[in-house]
Amino acid sequence: MAAASVVRAAGRRSRRLFDIFVAEVPWTVSSKELKEYFSQFGSVQRCQLPFDRDTGFHRRYCWIKFSTPEEVQNVLQKDSHILEGSKLSLQQQSRRRRSQRKNPRQ
Amino acid sequence: MPERALSGSGLSASPVRGMVRPRHVGPAAAQRRRATHVLRAVMAALLSSAGRLRALRPRLSPLLPPLLRPPAAPAPPPGPARHIMNQVRFLTVAPQEEGNVKQEPVSEVGTRPSWQFDWALNKVDNSVRKTGRIPKALLLKIFQEVSKAGCPGSNQTLLLLQSCGAVLPEVLSPERTELAHMIWDKMKELGAVYDTSHYNALLKVYLQNEHKFSPTEFLARMEEANVQPNRVTYQRLIAAYCNEGDIEGASKILGFMKSKDLPITEAVFSSLVKGHARSGDMKSAENILSVMRMAGVEPGPDTYLSLLNVYAEKGDVDSIKKTLEQVEKTEGYLMDRILMQVIFSLAKAGFPQHIEGIRERIRFERELIPDVMNLCLTLITHGFEDISFSILKSLGHLSREDTDQGSFFLQHCVNRDLPMSKLKQFCKELKEAKMHSAPLPFILRCALEANKSALAIDVMKMMKEEGLPLRPHYCWPLLVAYEKEKNLKGIFEVLKSMHKLGVDLDAETYTDYVFKNFADIETAHAQLKENGCLFESVGLYLAELRSEALQGRLDKVLSILSSANTPALDCRLFRNSLILAFKRSDDVQLWSKITELLYKDERYCLTPPGPTEAVGYFLYHLIDSMSDSEVQAKEELLRQYFHQLKKMNVVIPTSHYSGICRLLDSSQVPELIKDVRLLCHKKSLSTDNIPESAKSDVSALENKLEKQKAENQPITDVLKQLILALCEEENMQKALEVKAKYEPDMVVGGYAALINLCCRHDNVEEAMNLKEKVFPRNSPVALDSGKYVALIEVLEKHGRLEDAINILTEMKEKDVPISGRTVASFLHILNAAAMRGEVERVNRLHDAIANLGLVQTAALHAPLITVHLEKDDMPAALEALISCYKKYGKNPQLHNIYCKLVEKGDADLLQKVSDFISREYGDMMALYDLFFAFLQTGKYKEAKKVIETPGLRAHSGRLRWFAKRCILGEQMEVLEQLVELTRNLFDCDRDEMYYHLLELCDSNKDWGKAEAIWTKIQEENIVPREKTLILLANILKKNGQVVPFEVPKGSPEDSTSAATGELEIRMLCKQNKVKEAYSIFRKMQKDESHRRCCTMLVKALLAQDFLDEALDVKRIAETHIKGFTLNSAASSLLIISQVRRDYLKDALAVLKKVLDSGMLPTRQAVFALTEALAEKRDIKNLQVLGGILGDVTKSLGLSGSLIPNAIALAHTKNNDLDAAVKYLEPLLISGAQNPDQAARSISYLLRKVSEEGLEPALEKFGAMAERLAGQCGIYKPVTDLFLQYISADRVDDARSLIQKWDAIAQEKRTLGRFMAGSATKPGQAKRIEALLELIPEHLNLAVAYRYLLRCYELDGDVASVKATYEKTKAKNIELNEISLKSLATFLKQVGEPVPFTEPPETFKFYAEKWKNRRLEAS
Repeated sequence: MAAASVVRAAGRRSRRLFDIFVAEVPWTVSSKELKEYFSQFGSVQRCQLPFDRDTGFHRRYCWIKFSTPEEVQNVLQKDSHILEGSKLSLQQQSRRRRSQRKNPRQ
Repeated sequence: MPERALSGSGLSASPVRGMVRPRHVGPAAAQRRRATHVLRAVMAALLSSAGRLRALRPRLSPLLPPLLRPPAAPAPPPGPARHIMNQVRFLTVAPQEEGNVKQEPVSEVGTRPSWQFDWALNKVDNSVRKTGRIPKALLLKIFQEVSKAGCPGSNQTLLLLQSCGAVLPEVLSPERTELAHMIWDKMKELGAVYDTSHYNALLKVYLQNEHKFSPTEFLARMEEANVQPNRVTYQRLIAAYCNEGDIEGASKILGFMKSKDLPITEAVFSSLVKGHARSGDMKSAENILSVMRMAGVEPGPDTYLSLLNVYAEKGDVDSIKKTLEQVEKTEGYLMDRILMQVIFSLAKAGFPQHIEGIRERIRFERELIPDVMNLCLTLITHGFEDISFSILKSLGHLSREDTDQGSFFLQHCVNRDLPMSKLKQFCKELKEAKMHSAPLPFILRCALEANKSALAIDVMKMMKEEGLPLRPHYCWPLLVAYEKEKNLKGIFEVLKSMHKLGVDLDAETYTDYVFKNFADIETAHAQLKENGCLFESVGLYLAELRSEALQGRLDKVLSILSSANTPALDCRLFRNSLILAFKRSDDVQLWSKITELLYKDERYCLTPPGPTEAVGYFLYHLIDSMSDSEVQAKEELLRQYFHQLKKMNVVIPTSHYSGICRLLDSSQVPELIKDVRLLCHKKSLSTDNIPESAKSDVSALENKLEKQKAENQPITDVLKQLILALCEEENMQKALEVKAKYEPDMVVGGYAALINLCCRHDNVEEAMNLKEKVFPRNSPVALDSGKYVALIEVLEKHGRLEDAINILTEMKEKDVPISGRTVASFLHILNAAAMRGEVERVNRLHDAIANLGLVQTAALHAPLITVHLEKDDMPAALEALISCYKKYGKNPQLHNIYCKLVEKGDADLLQKVSDFISREYGDMMALYDLFFAFLQTGKYKEAKKVIETPGLRAHSGRLRWFAKRCILGEQMEVLEQLVELTRNLFDCDRDEMYYHLLELCDSNKDWGKAEAIWTKIQEENIVPREKTLILLANILKKNGQVVPFEVPKGSPEDSTSAATGELEIRMLCKQNKVKEAYSIFRKMQKDESHRRCCTMLVKALLAQDFLDEALDVKRIAETHIKGFTLNSAASSLLIISQVRRDYLKDALAVLKKVLDSGMLPTRQAVFALTEALAEKRDIKNLQVLGGILGDVTKSLGLSGSLIPNAIALAHTKNNDLDAAVKYLEPLLISGAQNPDQAARSISYLLRKVSEEGLEPALEKFGAMAERLAGQCGIYKPVTDLFLQYISADRVDDARSLIQKWDAIAQEKRTLGRFMAGSATKPGQAKRIEALLELIPEHLNLAVAYRYLLRCYELDGDVASVKATYEKTKAKNIELNEISLKSLATFLKQVGEPVPFTEPPETFKFYAEKWKNRRLEAS
């Protein structure tokens, strides 16, 4: 069983996405604009821009997911990112590691 | 100090908690003038020679302006300089924040992490500190939260009250007072207890709001509530009378203050100015200034403000100008803030024509922005939006390309419901003035936030006209608002407006904001149609599809997908919803039909690469989204599904096939894999580490060593153990002897321990000899870092610098891992050399250490400077500092250098170091360094001048650093000065400053000072944090004083000092620096919060055998912490330590206490105590021990025979064998009859007497055992004897015993346990060999060989392992998987081939498998 879940985890890892966390997203911008903007650096797999269902405004941060770390590097190499007059604040997402159980006999 | 309140105007921002408005900022030229002035004054104190002074001037004048410039873009310098960058950014932060309406700036929160719990305080504090105001919404939100929480703390109430005054510029005064009253009543109702500080706060609010009230009634109310008015109360009551022009009333209070001997401050006089003026007596008003001078109080900014305001109220612009000119000439104040108050007074009094003349005098600099904003807001609130706009435009020259100005203005205009035409005009002008890049979207947002939907739609129309994009999510806040109101009509209207404005009605709009209002999709569809807003867009269908799918209604999904009306939709857009729906459904028919549609209907796979890819991808994601158990549960459905798809000719690319196969494989559905006709297999390999542990005492090891040597057996292992044991005993002499004797058999590990031992014993020669011999520099073998450090330390001590440096180089060459502890040791070594003033040595060692690349901590550089300070060589110290900075980017000991230079009055060097710091870290850091140095050396006047430098702002980290320093050094005066001098420092967290003062009062037990601090806090209008109040209350309580306020109900958070103390203790414990930890503990105040820390400290102390200290901590904890008991682990350690010291009675008492409190001691503790009591022949206490242990022995996994054996042993040691037998024999007989009864085994007793060579005793007990066997048929004792013979390698004795008593061989469990026990430690293979020789026919051979193999593995005896394995093969003995796994691992480790197929899974896997098998069998 353990082996099986390892295989599965490995499978997941192989198609893991590479995230950038973007803060200070101006309120006027939606995920469409964000995707368009970041597409110049690589193919954007996903853009998650959470909206506050209580106010109808988004929360001003989002995650941009690329399929390769190189694309993430492309983005980060640019000094500053300005979208609709606002400077975005970018942060490479440190990938959460799945808890690796330590097996002393392995 | 005078009252800071600029009461009356309603404009001045009241300082809440830390907030003090900057009042010292002016035009750059004035600043420069002032900076020069500061420097001159400061230096004059240091210098006598005018010539030198001139040399300093040029440097000081440029000190400040760079601070005020917008941040350029150089790479941030290292270290503290980064803070400066942040600080600099702050100066410019206000305009940037304007665009950020929702979130008030909370930028600095990161630096103060400990106060998350009083979030309300933080939020308000930050808001006020950065902007000088609180948004009303924030205040109301906090009020609601506090109300909800139920029991408001006194300081939360205080905070709320204080927030109802001038810090609400967006609210009209009467409304603010109303708010204050509502809060007052509500909080009272909720149980808030009001003290003087609350009444004072309420008074302040009245004054700021110009609220009319009766001061006498107010006093009466206080009296009624039994709250004592204080100086601050009286001052404010006087101000209240003066607001009404009631000089008589004010005089009454004034007389009262005089009778009470209370000081009359500037605040009182400035009130009187207003009072006289408002009573119509301008002459007296003007005269107050000379009166106060006569009374010895200099008129300050407050007084002049008061005077200017009354002129403004009269429209007397000439007097205003005259006064201003006079002030500027004589006092040198910066009047900008005061002028803004005057503008407001003029506007209110109806003299707008004079405003321009005043406005011209204001230098609109960046630092003034928050105040200008507040003036603008106040003006709008009072209906003077055009005056406000003209003031706003005065900021135009400060605009920068990337930031917008005036957002706050627009927002407030929206909130005050200004007409669209006005808004349009302001937007246009702002845009034209290039002050705002996108005013229209901004007011749209304001309208949306304020829920003004008509305005929002109007703004959108205007945006459309201007060609700005309109996006769907602009309308979502409106939809959300209508949804909350359940206003369907509103929703339809928004949809229609969106359609009309050409806003894309996308799927998200429908899914998240429209459909929710209806019971289901059909209803929604119908209602939309009915109300004329069914706009058949892609978004609508997509939303319908998703919604139906998410509700699991696959039938609806199918009907939408097959409907001819449905437009083309890429299936990726609804894939995730569809997968969820599939998972919730069991209808394979629907699955298949939908999949077929996706495959065959062109509408759903518009884009390349086409349907094959799309459906393959869909299937892959479907399976991937299912958990293992889901896949397993749906195995049959999936099989049918795949078959159906095949029937429908659905084809999937190979790559997707194999991906799906991988998923299925990992989900353990191999049959299904066959259905997809693909297989893949993977297996993980594992290795097996055999744990090894062995520790024996010296004498036994010596015997063993000699014996093995005599028998020509390998002795390396036992030799190493012996060396280690000797090292542990710190017996260097002996250890060296043993080494010399058995040199050829010494192994590396033994040498390493020996080297370390020599270092500890200061035997540098031997240590180096050994090191050179065994671990030469060119050999790849390395010592660990601790041992290298020990070597370096001893070498340095003996002056062998070259050798020490060589070792350091070697560490680098060999890539020895460096731990924090290593670094600490280096610091220790360097410091020792520095204290001796050995410059050369410090430098060279430091160089070598730095070359190792391990200097992560700045502290490690400090000795470079310390060494010069020790020698009082300041030029050298400074040079060292600069070179240290150049090389490592650090400047340790800076403060000490500054202090020494100030003390010496060495202006040249002081200038030099200041220049250096300014250049590298910025002027602000240089100013702080100078400030601290002046404080530290008692030059407060100079310090004051430095901290008052215009533009300087609070740097909380630096202030905290210095305050902590003062607290640690118990420097009350310096700390008081720090707090006093930073009073007007912009953005200074006043509460924190006072908290530091209280911390020191606490440790000095100075309750009087603590009480005075409380009054000061009120005077400064600060809301203390809960932790401050708690600390204050604690100080008063501890010193037997009454606490004059309600103490906040204790938050669990520790006071900072306690918390850091605790942290330190933990760190030190972890680093094994228990002595240091102990001394910190002694200094700390002990309370509830330290429970865990005490336990930890006790354990750490015991681990290093500091018994007395451990007992001390225990005693303190027990007396200070309610219900404190050591936990079982710590108690057990304590018992062991006590046993080691022969405090057996104490140990017994501790054990009893542990058991009494319902905890279990460790096995080791009980065992140690028992053994020691037996050793001491203390039969009585053994019986007591047996009594108190009772049944617990079993729960501990100790043999019930332990105590009887120990008692028998005690008798034996008393040389009373008869008594031992007499005691033991009946116990054994009854034990045999009743299996629950104790005492069935005597192996412990036999082992002890055998080990100690008590042959007669062994014989006597042997006879007893045989008697029991012969007469009673009890074979356990004789079996124990047999096994003892085996253990002691007395095979012949064992043989004759078993020949006599073959029943021994039937004691299978005992034999099995014996073998298992033998296979846990190395060196015991012989025992099993002997058994195999003596009773092979009675052993389970598979088991015996398994253990035998394990024994050889433990011994590392490859030859025997291999031979034994061959033997099992020859004898056809089947080894289980555990053995094979273990064997294979062993062989691989030693590099031998594995002559069988290694079991594929892990050792653990098989161990569990066998365990389960056993469990099932039983």
